Parts: sequence; structure tokens; C-alpha cells
Amino acid sequence: MRYVVSIARVDESKCNGCGICERVCPTLSIRVGEDFLAHVDESSCTGCTACMDRCPQYAVSIISLEKPRVLQVDWRKAPYEKMLEICRKAHHHPEEVICFCTGTRAREVAAAILMGADSPEKLSRMTGIRTGCKVECIQPVLRLLNAAGVKLQKPPGYQWYGLTSTLWDLPEAILGKEEYGKFYFLKDKEVMEKIVRGGGNE
Amino acid sequence: MSKIYPPQPPLPPRESIYGVKPEYIGKRAYQLPGMVFVKIKDLFPDMPEVIWPPPNTKAIREATVKALESIDMSYIKPEHSVNILASHHGFTLLGGEPYAEMLKTIRDVVEERTKCRDIRLRAGVGLRFRETEEYIRKFKLDEYFGSGKAIGITPIDPGIPIETEIGTLYGIRAAYDADWIIHAHNSDVREVHFHRHVDRAVKPFGMSYARIETRSAYHHNLGPRGANFIARAIFESPLVKRKWAFACFLLPTPVGIVGVDADRDLYRLDERITRLNLKTYGKVMHLLGKIDEAIAILDFMCPVPYVFAGGVIFANFCCANIDLFDLDKPFPPYTWYTEAYYDENEKPLSPEIPPPNPAIKAIVINYVWKGYPSVFWSKHFPTIIVGEHHKELFDNDPQNIEFTKYIKAVTPDLDSAIKLAYEIAKTDKIIVFDGAAGGFNVSKSLAELLIKEATKASKEVDEELIHKWLRQRGIKP
Repeated sequence: MRYVVSIARVDESKCNGCGICERVCPTLSIRVGEDFLAHVDESSCTGCTACMDRCPQYAVSIISLEKPRVLQVDWRKAPYEKMLEICRKAHHHPEEVICFCTGTRAREVAAAILMGADSPEKLSRMTGIRTGCKVECIQPVLRLLNAAGVKLQKPPGYQWYGLTSTLWDLPEAILGKEEYGKFYFLKDKEVMEKIVRGGGNE
Repeated sequence: MSKIYPPQPPLPPRESIYGVKPEYIGKRAYQLPGMVFVKIKDLFPDMPEVIWPPPNTKAIREATVKALESIDMSYIKPEHSVNILASHHGFTLLGGEPYAEMLKTIRDVVEERTKCRDIRLRAGVGLRFRETEEYIRKFKLDEYFGSGKAIGITPIDPGIPIETEIGTLYGIRAAYDADWIIHAHNSDVREVHFHRHVDRAVKPFGMSYARIETRSAYHHNLGPRGANFIARAIFESPLVKRKWAFACFLLPTPVGIVGVDADRDLYRLDERITRLNLKTYGKVMHLLGKIDEAIAILDFMCPVPYVFAGGVIFANFCCANIDLFDLDKPFPPYTWYTEAYYDENEKPLSPEIPPPNPAIKAIVINYVWKGYPSVFWSKHFPTIIVGEHHKELFDNDPQNIEFTKYIKAVTPDLDSAIKLAYEIAKTDKIIVFDGAAGGFNVSKSLAELLIKEATKASKEVDEELIHKWLRQRGIKP
């Protein structure tokens, strides 16, 4: 769950329309218009600060909302078995926390995919994932979309580039290499797989 | 013989967009009644000699020049470009001056030896994207390197695909936009919960110099013991090999900076720092594991897990109930691999997940920064925040919006916070993470415990643990 307590605001006297803000926004909520100024879509901006942090003109600030919004998908409304299947295929326990800023669990993202989210950007708009640190949850998001069979379309900027290898798809040659024994790949895979396949707590 | 000293004042609060205004910080933890200071050199007399503290930029410059003497730089031509790659974390060590001085010296030596004029600084960040820019301004690195040549780089900046033996990973384009790269880092152990001190020296290739895709894969998609392999894979890539010049590392230890080391062979340097760190940080971390109960006061300009003292970060103390260097144990008590596997009732999804250090009976936040997802701590420990300004800081941080939902209280001042902490914790033992160098500000009761246990801890590391730790990392004891 993500409480949206603030949004971005552009100081038009400083903005030079360079467009960096729109290329880093995880929800595609800021765009440079024909007036060569950045404009914020207040209905979808989460106040994640990516635009503010990268604006070379220091033209973006974050302002508090009088009434916070909540971004959350009720995973119970998605078909349970299908949600479970996506999580398992992505090697995530359904209750696994995959975003440490928002506390979003794998099952919520899988449910959002089943409800129509077919990109990381749409998932962010629905669940708030990727709008905290903007860094750490991209792989689980891509893993879940991939597991659901979504064909990923590159975003307009450099919000993300693509899925990378994870523990689950390291080549056999790497897993068994003696020199890499100190990384404990096989043992970690075994212990994590056991958790992923486990039923969770009652 | 261990002595007890008067408590040592920490560095004053610093203006930053990540912290509350310095004027909001009142009493510091060292000023609480009954506080004392214990020196690590007293606890562990075999700790190495230091060149800082006391502050001595000349010594850092001399050590850097000396370390670089034997480094071949003949391949760098006057018409080439060179990126000195740095990380924000270096600037948090002992006020940042030693690391800044090392960076300046590397620049000067490379220019003098190669006649190369296009030497830039590319300094990476953690999760606070403007932090390095603040350090660049503070240490006047932009002026030193030349206008526009010293820049902060972030994981959401334009990327570059890097082909590795495990497929495509992504670096930050600006880190690799020169003919040569110099890996200017430090040997501080810091996030042992992530890298497990396995090939520690390569870490920034998967972190400060890396894009979000790479960092995400590292932090919770490759295994709790194998994470640092992501960094190694990038370091071993044809791209890095083609641009690789050398590494130059500042050598902090729990007692201070002991020198500067440099090598073209990063694995050789890694072995040296591994031996040094397991012997020095290993003892301090092992000693922290002998603390039976304590109130932890966080009082420094870093996010919750990164406030430090005596060379170790608070997150290390949160993991001190297990041997964090022991690779037989898959999960540390805190890491994102661990945090991921707690259910909605905050119960671990597996018996393999160890609890966070039960010796921490309460946390008092007197001064920290925002900019790192920290709800794990307020969920798992009774947490008290000093001052409404700190609460507001967390409440408006997109990485911590729910942090204060789980805290015990916000108090107007440190005195009332510690009074409440005593009631909750039912112990008078206090340990302060306030950036103290060479020791800890602690309560007298905890000082006595540390002094009592230090000899035993030292012996256990020397006679048993260090041999196991080295063997597990493929290094001959």
C-alpha cells in the first residue's frame, strides 16, 4: 500500500523543458508540453521525487497534499489460483515483500497484472510500487510481468531497461563452478525455493 | 588495559536535504548523564596504528602517493579521458575529508604521471540521489577537478548495457564514458548483510556505478550469500576489462584510517582488505554479539541502518545475534532477502529466517536522515523518535511513509525519550551510534560489559573464527 501524501510541482520560471523529468518518472506523470515546460498530472503523480532529484535546473519541488490518496489493489479480488501461479512461476512467495518502501507483496502485484496492468508504469499507478526508492523493486516487477506472459514494451524514457538474470536462471556452468563455491548459489537456491514453495503461516 | 574515558562529542549536525535542520537537534546522546567512552584500541590492543584521527590530510595525501608509486599508468595517454569512480559512502567516513583528499590526490598523481588533462570524478549514491552533489560542494571537488568534471551519478540516470557471463546487466552510462576508469573506493565493511564480505572490493560495480536493474538483482534476486556476484560479473565484463586502470582504496578500520592501498589486480587488493577487515571489524562485530541487552541511540547524519560508531553500522548490531561473516548461515537477521520473507503479521515465512538482534530492547532516534526504507526497524523494535521534525521527515519520505505508524512515541526531547526507553527496555545499558571514531559512547554499565568480554572475543576470533571465515572465502588462513 502506498499513501500518496505529496506531489511534484514545477517552477515554470526555472524549467527549460529538457525532459529529464519525464524520462525518469515511474508513473509517466510528468510531461514536457508544446510550451517546452514540464507539466505534472496531479491525478497520478505519487511525489516519489525522481523528477525533483534529477532536474538539473532545480525546477521541481514537492508539495504536500491536503488529502492523501491511497494506492492499493485488493489481491482477494483476483482469481486466486491464477495469482498463485504467476507468483510461483516468478519464484516469489505470494506473501513475499517485493517493495520495501511500500510494503507491497508479490500477490498484490500479481493481482494487479490479472486486473489489467501490463507494464511497470501501470503497476506503479495501481499499487504504488516503484515509487519509493525507485530502485530496488524493478526486478520483481519485471519477473512477475514476465511470469504472467506480458510482452514488455520499453518505456518512453529510461525508467527501466530490462530483466536481468536472477538466482533462478543462472546458467548451470555458473552454479557448478568450483571457484564460485563461496557464493553458495545452489544452497541459497534450495533454501529460497523451499520458502517460495512453502505454504506460509496460518 | 581498558580504561573508561569521558564521552566524546560527535560531529555537529550538517545541513542537508535529507535531514532536519541542524538547529532542531538539541542535546546529543553523549551528553546524557552517566555516559562514557571506550576505546577500541584498549579493548583490542592488536588493532593497527592509524594515520587519521587526528585529522591529517597530509598523511592521507602521502599515503595515496605512496600507494600509487608502484601502479603502472603507462597506458593512459595525454589525449585520453579518465573517470575516477567514487561512492557516497566514502564521504561519510570520519567526516569525509580523508576520502575527499584521496580522490584529489589520485587526480593529481594521474595528471602528473600521464599528462592526461581530462580527468573527471563520477561519484555514485545510495538511495539519496542528491547526496553526492552535497559532498562535491562541501569538499569543493567541482572546483578541484574543473567545472563540470565532478558530478554525482544515480541509478536512475541513463544506462549502458554490460554483457556479462550471466547475461546483460546495466551500468550508469556516465560512469563508463571515459577511456579509463579508476575504482576509488574504501575498505569499510559496512553492509556485510548484503555483500557478506565475499569479493568485497568489487561491490560498487553492482551498486554505486550500477543502474536500478542491477542493484535490484543484487539486493534481493540473487541469493543472500551470492549477491555480490552481480558486482563481480560486471567487474569481469569485457567493457570493464577494456576500461580498467586500477583501484585505489582508503583503508578505514574500527580505530581509524590505517592507510591507502592500490593495485591493478583488484582480487589481490581484495584479499588484503579481507584479511585486515576480518581481523579488525571481525573482532568488534563479534564483541557486539556479546551484548545481552541495550538501548540503541541513533544520533548521526545517516539513514537508520547506516548510523555508525566504532567503525560498524547500526545494521551490523541488528545482525550481531548471529555471526554475519559465517557463510554457513544463509540469512542475516536483517537484509532485504530477510525482510522479504516476513508475512503480514510480521512472522517469518521460514524457520531459516533469524530474528533481528533480541539484545536491542529499544531504539531512540535522536538524529538520523531519511532516504532508506527503514520500516523494518520500527516494526521489529520499540522505537522512540525525538522531535516532531523527525516525525515529519519520515512521514514525507516516499521511502518511509509508514515508518512512524509503528513507533512507540514521539518525545519533545532526548531526556524524555531515554526515560521512556528505560521503562520499555528495563536496562541501563546504552550504546550510541553517533559516528564516533575509534570507540563507542556507551553507558558505564555497557562499557564494563565490553571491557569484560573483549579479551574473550579477541581470542575467539584469532583462534577459531578468522580461520573459518577465510576458508569460506577461498583464502588460505
